[in-house]
Parts: sequence; C-alpha cells; structure tokens
Amino acid sequence: MNYKKKSLLGPLSSLKYLFHDPITVRYPKEQKKTYPEHEGCSPQYRGQHTNDLEKCVGCGSCMDICPTGAIEMVEFNDVKDKPGATRKRPVIDYGRCCFCGFCVDVCTSSSLSMSREYIHTFITPLNADSRDAGDLISNDFVRRPDLSLTENPGWNTPDEWSWLSLDRMVMGVMEPKERKTSFVEMVRGYSKEEAVREAQRCVACGLCKEACPIHMDIPEYIDAIWKDDIEESVKQIYKTNPLPEVCGRVCTHKCETACSIGLRGDPLAIRWLKRYAVDSLPLEKYKSVLLNNAIKPVNKRVAVIGGGPAGLSAAFFLSLMGYKITIFEADEKVGGIMRYGIPAYRLPDSALDKDIDFIKSLGVEIKTNTRVGKEIEFNKIKSEYDAVILSTGFNLGRSTRIPGSQSKGVVQALDFLSDTRDFAAKKIKEVEITEKILVIGGGNVAFDCSRSAARLQMMKFGKVNVTQICLETLDIIPADKAEVDESAEEGVVLICGRGPKQVMIDENGKVKGLDHMKCNSVFDENMNFNPKFNEEDKAICEATMIIEAIGQAPDYSYISDDVKSKMKFERGKIVLDKNNETGAEKIYAAGDIVKGPDIVNAIADGLRSAIALDKKLNK
Amino acid sequence: MSEILTFMGMEDQYKKYELFFGPNHPGMHGNFSYIITVEGHTIKKIDPDAGLLHRGFEKLVEQRLWMQNISLIPRICVPEPDINEAIYSIAVEKLMGVEVPERAQYIRTIILEMARIGAFLFGFGGIGGATGLYTASYWTFADRDYLLDLFEWLTGARIYHMFILPGGVRRDIPNGWLEKLSETVDYLQKRLYEYDRLIYNNPLIVKRLENLGPVTQEDAMKYGITGPNIRATGIKYDTRKAVPYAAYDKIDFEVPVQTAGDGLARAVQKREEFQVSLDIIKKAIQQMPEGSVRAKMPNPLKFRVPKGDVYVKLETAHGEHAYYIVSNGSDKPYRMAVRGGSFTAGLVYAQKALVGMRIEDVALWMATMDICPPDFDR
Amino acid sequence: MEQREIILKIKENFSKSEVKVFDEKQFSVFADKDDIVRILSFMQMIGFQQLAIISAVDWIDEKKFELVYNLFSYTHIQQVLVKTKIERDNPKIQSVMNLWEVAQMYERDVHEFFGIEFSGNDDMRPLILHNWKDKPPMRKDFDSLKYSNEIYGTFKKSEEV
Repeated sequence: MNYKKKSLLGPLSSLKYLFHDPITVRYPKEQKKTYPEHEGCSPQYRGQHTNDLEKCVGCGSCMDICPTGAIEMVEFNDVKDKPGATRKRPVIDYGRCCFCGFCVDVCTSSSLSMSREYIHTFITPLNADSRDAGDLISNDFVRRPDLSLTENPGWNTPDEWSWLSLDRMVMGVMEPKERKTSFVEMVRGYSKEEAVREAQRCVACGLCKEACPIHMDIPEYIDAIWKDDIEESVKQIYKTNPLPEVCGRVCTHKCETACSIGLRGDPLAIRWLKRYAVDSLPLEKYKSVLLNNAIKPVNKRVAVIGGGPAGLSAAFFLSLMGYKITIFEADEKVGGIMRYGIPAYRLPDSALDKDIDFIKSLGVEIKTNTRVGKEIEFNKIKSEYDAVILSTGFNLGRSTRIPGSQSKGVVQALDFLSDTRDFAAKKIKEVEITEKILVIGGGNVAFDCSRSAARLQMMKFGKVNVTQICLETLDIIPADKAEVDESAEEGVVLICGRGPKQVMIDENGKVKGLDHMKCNSVFDENMNFNPKFNEEDKAICEATMIIEAIGQAPDYSYISDDVKSKMKFERGKIVLDKNNETGAEKIYAAGDIVKGPDIVNAIADGLRSAIALDKKLNK
Repeated sequence: MSEILTFMGMEDQYKKYELFFGPNHPGMHGNFSYIITVEGHTIKKIDPDAGLLHRGFEKLVEQRLWMQNISLIPRICVPEPDINEAIYSIAVEKLMGVEVPERAQYIRTIILEMARIGAFLFGFGGIGGATGLYTASYWTFADRDYLLDLFEWLTGARIYHMFILPGGVRRDIPNGWLEKLSETVDYLQKRLYEYDRLIYNNPLIVKRLENLGPVTQEDAMKYGITGPNIRATGIKYDTRKAVPYAAYDKIDFEVPVQTAGDGLARAVQKREEFQVSLDIIKKAIQQMPEGSVRAKMPNPLKFRVPKGDVYVKLETAHGEHAYYIVSNGSDKPYRMAVRGGSFTAGLVYAQKALVGMRIEDVALWMATMDICPPDFDR
Repeated sequence: MEQREIILKIKENFSKSEVKVFDEKQFSVFADKDDIVRILSFMQMIGFQQLAIISAVDWIDEKKFELVYNLFSYTHIQQVLVKTKIERDNPKIQSVMNLWEVAQMYERDVHEFFGIEFSGNDDMRPLILHNWKDKPPMRKDFDSLKYSNEIYGTFKKSEEV
C-alpha cells in the first residue's frame, strides 16, 4: 500500500456507490442474508426466555446465577405438583435482565431456554395516573416465562454445553475378585479432595431436603464440606440425623433420586458425602462440636422397646429434650436390623458403634439381652415409666409357604444374615452353607443374602454358586440398581420374572432344588401386590440350600392384650392417629411397625414419635 | 492575536478563557471532558475531568461470584468488549492452572481479532468524524455491522457477547459460520482499499494528520502509551508476540511498525494492523483444529479460585488493556484493578502533548491516540 | 537480561525483599515501605521503563493496605509487581511521581478510592467521584448497598413482583 500516492480525486471513488443498494436492512420489510435458513435474528439469539413449566422443577439455580438479580422464584398455584419438584417457577424482570443466558446454561432440568423475541418498546400509559405508571410498565416487563415463545427458539443448552458438573466423582470400590473373599467394607469412601470436588457439584436447590424423610439440611452440610469445615458439616447433619454413619452407608438415598443435577447427569453422591463428613470427625470431638447448649433435664422416664434405628433415634432426640431413656433390647447389642440384618461389607460394626456410642454418651441406659415378655413383663414397663415407645421392627421372616418350604434346608433371610454377621464379627466359627445356594426374593435383603452367601461360599469352597430368583423383571425390581450390578460382578446368577412353586426334596429329606414357574404380572390394576403365574412354563433349579428373602413381618406377641385391643392394625402395621399416638395411653410406636421397612424412615419416625410424646408429656 | 489585544490594552479581559471540551461535544468520544485554557486558538493548559462515566466496576466485581462477573466486565470497554472476558478468563485460568483446549484458543483468537477489527473500524470512523469526512464513519459503521451479525450468529448477542469463559468458550462454532467469516474477511479486505482511497490517500486528511502530536519513543514508554501508538513510534513490541496468549503463538504474523510517531503514523499503523488482523483470522480459519472447546470446570455456583494474584494484559486496538486480579481463595474476586489502555495517554500525557495545539486538533488527536473514556472511569 | 539475572540483581541490592516468581514473564517483589522509592528507581534504572498501573488492595483482616506498582520492561519483556504493605490506620507513603509522571494520576486515583496519602504528590483533587462525602469506596468496609439505600432510597426485591 502506497500512502504517498495521494489524490484529491480518491475520495470521489465513493461516488460509485451512489446507485448501490444500501447496506442497511429495513427489517422486518427485508431480511438479512447472513443466517442461512433463518429469518430475522440469529438461530441462537439470546432474547426473551421460554420455560417449560411442566419440566421445570423449581430448583432456583437460575435465580442464584443471575448476575443482575432479575430472576425471582415465585410459588404458583397453577403449577402441577410432581415428586421431586417445588411449585416455584422463575419470574423474570426484563428491566434488569442483561440477556447473558447464564440461567439457561445452569438450568438443571433443561426447561429454560431463550427465544429470538425481544422487547423493543412498550406502550407508555399516557392517560394513567403517574403513581400507577410503575405498575403498568412492570406488566410489560416482569413476566413468568412459559412456552408461548417456543415457536421462535433461540439460545438453548443441551447437556453438552451445560455449566453444571454432571459427572459424579468416581467412588473407589473394591474389585469384585477381592471383595467376594471377605466381609471387609467394599466402598472405600471419599478422600478429602474427592469429597470437596463432589460437594462442588451441588447447586443448593434443596429438592433433596424435601425428598428426605427426615428433611436433613443437605445443601448446608454439603456446603460446609465444600468449605472444608467438617465440624459445621457434622453439626448440620446431627440436627436431624442421629445415625449418620449408618445413613452414610446404607440409606435408600431418596435425596439422590430427587437431586436436580440428576436430571441431566449423575446425581450428587449425597450419601457418601455424609459418610465422608462423619468419618472425618473422631468420636472424641463429637461432644465439643455438637453439644453446645446444656440439656435441661425433664424429670420423666421413657422406655424404648427395641434398639433398632427408630428406637435409637427416639432415644437420641428425647434425651436431647432432657428425658431419661431406657432401651430394652432382646439381643446382645443394640442396633437391630443395622447390626443383625445388613451385612458387614456394607455396614461395618465400627461405623455402627460410633453412632451408638455417641447416643450412649448422652446418658441413655441400654438393657441388652432383655426380651420384653420374657425377661421383663410389658405391663411392668408400662407402669414404671412415664411413656413407652414401641420400635420392635419387622423381626420375623416371612415364608413363601410353598410345599416343602418347612424342610430343613430352607432358611429365613434374617436368621441367615444374623448368623453371617456373627461370623464376620468372629463370634461363631461357621455358618451352615452348601455348595449350591438358591435365594428367593428381589429386594435389597435378598441381595444381601445372595451376596453374603457368595462370600461364605468363596471362603469355604473357593467358588461361588448362588442363584437368585425373583418375581419381578429387571425394570421393576425393588432392589437398588447398584445391588443388582454388584451382585452380578460377584458371581450371583439372577433369574428374573419367575415365582417359586415347590421345594424339591430328595429321598433323604434334603433339599435338592426348586420348581419354579413364570410370573406374568406382579401387581394388579390397583398396584397391589397380587402376582399372576403361568403354571405351564415350569423349570427346575437345582440347589441344596434355599434362603427365603421375600419380606419380613412384625411380632406383636409381647404386647399385653389390653393394650393391643386399644391399638389399630392394618396390614400388619400399627396405625397412628393424627397426633401420632397409638390410641393406647402412654404407648407410642415408631419404625418399621408403623412405616414398613426402611432405615431412614425409621429415624424420621423416631423423631416424630419423640415430638408427639414430648407434646403430650409436656402439656 | 495576543499582540493586538496587548496593543488595545484588553489582554486581561480577553486573553485567556476556559473551554469545556465535552462531555457534550461532537468531537468527544463518550462522557468525558477536558477543561481547556485557551489563548486565542492555542491551548495553554489542559485539565482532564473524568467521572461522568464511572460505573464502579472494580467494586461491583468484588460483590459477585467469579462466573457472574463474565456478564459484567464486557461493559468496561464499549468498542471492544471481548478483550475483557478474555483477560478475566485467562487470569482465572492462570490462577487455577487450567489448560484450555486448542480449538477454544483458536476460537478466542478469531473473536479477539474480530473485536479488534470492529474497534479499528470505530477508529477509522473517528478520524473521519473529527476531520469532517462523515462518509468514513458511515461506511465503517455499516461494515462493522457485518461483524456484529457474525458475532450474533456465534454468540447469540451483538455487542456484549459473554462468550469467552474460564476454561474455554461457551459454544462450538455453528455450521457454516467459518465460511461466512471468510466471506466477510474477503469483503473487508476489498473495503480496506476503499478506505485507503477515502482516508489515507486523501491529501486533506494526510495534511491534518501529519505532525499532529508526535510522540517520541522515550515518552511512549515513560507515559505508558501502548498498542499501535507505541509501534507508530518505532518500538517493535506487540503483546501478542512477546507474551503470547490464545493461539497467537501458533499463528505466524508480522508486526508492522512506523517511525514518525505523529498522527499520520498512528493512523497508518492502525490501517496496517487492520490488515494483520484480517491475515490472522484467515490463518486461524485454515489452522482451526478439531476437539473440545471447554475444559471441565467446576459448577459456577461453587466456583473458587485459589489464593494468589496475577496481572494479565492483552493487546487491544487502544493499547494494553490489563487486569490485576487478587483472589483470597473464596468464591468472589478479592480485588480487580483495571488498567485501561488509554488511561495514561488521556489523563497524563494529554496534559503535556496538547499544550500548544489548536482547539480543532483535540478531537483528531484523541481519535488517533484512541482515547477511550471508559478506560478512566472503570 | 533473563528473569533469573534480574532477580539476582534485586536480591543483591535489596536483601530484605522477597521475590516470588509467577511464570517466566512475571514475578513479584515484596519490599519494605521505606524502600519503595529506592527499589522503584532501581528498577527503572535496570530497564523497567513503563509504570503500567499502581493499585491497592485492602487487606482489612490484617489491617493493612497493599500497594502494587506494576512495572514492565520493553528490553527484558518482564512484568514485575513491586508490592509493599502500609498501615491501614495511617495510610501514608512516599510518592513516586518524580520517577514516572504517570504515577501522579494513578496515585490520585488510589487516593480517591482508598484514601491513601502520597507525600510529595500535592494534586489530590477528586478526579472521578465529584462531591463524594462517604469513606473511600474501594475500602472493604464500604457497603455499597447501604450507601445506595441511603442516597437513593431502599430497594426491596419482593415488592417489585
């Protein structure tokens, strides 16, 4: 380029544009030619929002990220209720919105997107009172976005571009080969770095809080983990959960099902984060961290029958309220299903003892080896104490009642698991097993049985031969998916959609197999359990030992008849009135016998009965 | 002039007066004002008066999450907003030790060069406006719109794109975008020759620009004059070469220099750099690698940057734009200081350089020096 | 000069200063506040021609202001942050406007936003904040929301919708 070549006529070259079309586009009369196949704005224009109100779960991440504070979550009545969602939906103030689209990029449910529409102007209310002008203008500018602009879609965020961390921090788990030879805990737990990185994924929406039966302050304790403040985290956990070591391992984690991150990716490992927090704080520090306020003693005594999760939870909360608690436990140690049901590879004794030791340190008196109705009379307890909480749980096994199920080689799940637990704790030398084991059932307990049996076989015979048979097909199986996968890794053969017909007995009276048939459907139209079988489709599964794990039942034989007559039962469970009382005076109930088997529900129930009891006694 | 006044004995009354050049002056770029003491047409003293555009960015940044700031900081510099996102993102990446994917580096390079071209077009228009050649401003602003269309297609917005993020960029390039960009680059190349005819070969403009506020090399370094203006004095220094960022170390380009350091040299330097930017974009399109465009980054609501401080500067059309960012390890920046490209030139060097000039040269001097009021009022 | 050589030279002349290397093109020198003019003139002498920015950081928990002088050398292509800390209660430091004229404006800016006094720099008229009566706004204890509520009236988000 030669700048010296000056010419006064140079600028006149612009005259040649005199008869050209103007560059300016008179939109919308004319269309821009920049974007192929698109009229008007660009295909990913960031204009006004659209929100699929059905898809939106009201997590509020859009509000949290909004740099201008333009988004507010407002509760609406016309929004349908659905599980794992609130009725709050974003309302956007376009006077503040800067159209950055960050709300769309962090949307957990992918319901929020942007259109190619834009407010260019609004009608100025000339004749309106100047005092109302603000409200009138806000009618144009403050809106709840819905689907009305979807026919003109702009900026949207598929999972690929989402700002959220969708991948879960991988949890170290023992290799199947290694873990099936022992009862050592198989999940290794997070290291500090892993836990902080997992906690970082949380958007603190609080949907988990709603889903959790005890409404734990999950966002708060995850935030504390993220800030590496373990003490605060444990404090938040103990606000509602007295058995976090247990819950951090074997909870049914309804929170993770509700987790809003799970809508696009893997839900947060909330359960394991809880475990990390409580594992990281030694028991000696618990008292200084958790008991800041002195407990005001109440001069009342409460008996808790059954030292399972519900009983321990009730005992914990009542002793914090100042009551004097005595737990009557039939077994050698408290813990109930947590100690004698769940296998040690999922919940080691050390973890359980940590929780229980803290509850004991509050001054709870525990009378072990005291079966009510045998060592001590129910009525005696009732008269000696100001109130009694029943939390005996589902402690009886349920039988299939098929022909042959009474023979010797057929055992109940709870008996088998209890023996296994004693074996793992080196209290007994051996559990009676054979080389070919068949487990009936498709719940978590059934998987506990088959996986325990596999371990025992591995230790005794060096190889696994466990078959599990269940009514449900894989898509409706009640057990956790992890259980199904991990048991397969350990060598358990799962046969789905088959029901037991009869136990085959050989001439010596020993079990030699199970005759099973196809199960057409498990539930009837009303979703009640009512399996239909096809008796034509038969097969035989060889086995020398059968474990029945098709559910558990309660045992109410210890309750005196006069009390029992005042209580209401339905389908084996105790029905509570609206004040959470049983109907019988001084008698409260909690746990499986009220809610059905589930540990975290039992803990919630313990708290609820404690509150009901306190309300009554403190009147 | 003053001799006549002395002769008439009226010097005390009429000799000197104060002129408010801006904020409402057609030659002023933005809300800024020079209080000029003039004697006749000659400037005797300059007193810059900033503050009319102050938006308190440095304070606002301290009150927002690291990621929220991305939507705030582009507003610091109006003609070339993308540099702010880029500096901020590079600073955060340096503090966090994040490696940005190569494709994202190339996309950033293209965006930064497009923004640079947009700013140069603004600058050409500024020179046209200050000299009364309004055709130049009409043309450059219309051509800038083609770049804005491409930005809209890529990022979803025309001016404040908020597209460069810590870890990479927000989206991959849409189908057909690179082809359209090549077309636009070719178009701008053609138009550049038109600008030559209109502006740089125009004897009237050359006459106005020649010997306008010549800057010496020593002054340029001492007064913190940077970017094209320091290269117009003959110092061959370009941040893109010396401290490379984005993909500039992988793209081959030559840094042009002028020697005179006066208004014409500065204007010609910008025209030459316009050409360089077009070449860089062409090369970046050719070399564009495949791959991901964003490194895995933490959840924006729980985004923490490790303790530390860093000074990151980028080459922009109006000089060295830089942030000094301090993090105390929390979820918000602890301190962010902005070094505007023309802070020193507009506030300090102007007090020296403009003295002795005539009033009509102030606007033109500001246009060639790229004085950008948002640089003073962060 | 290489970065290593520059650092050695600084260490030679200012044994008390601490040097921290950020990367091959950037490092920082922490010096005593009484040394600051000497070290900066030394830096200018060894080829750091440009004073890029003077900024301050309010470490309110430490009760200190940190001043950061950002220098750049066109000959060595090195960015250096010269830092020093001064008492927050008595924020006073020697001006460096005799070394770089641009320091005058940066010091005026820092004075305005942090309230730091620079002895030797007399022109401290307000540059950006005209008619400002509150405490210097970039100090950490200045609450901008409270200020705006006092001056422009209370803003409540819930009332809006």
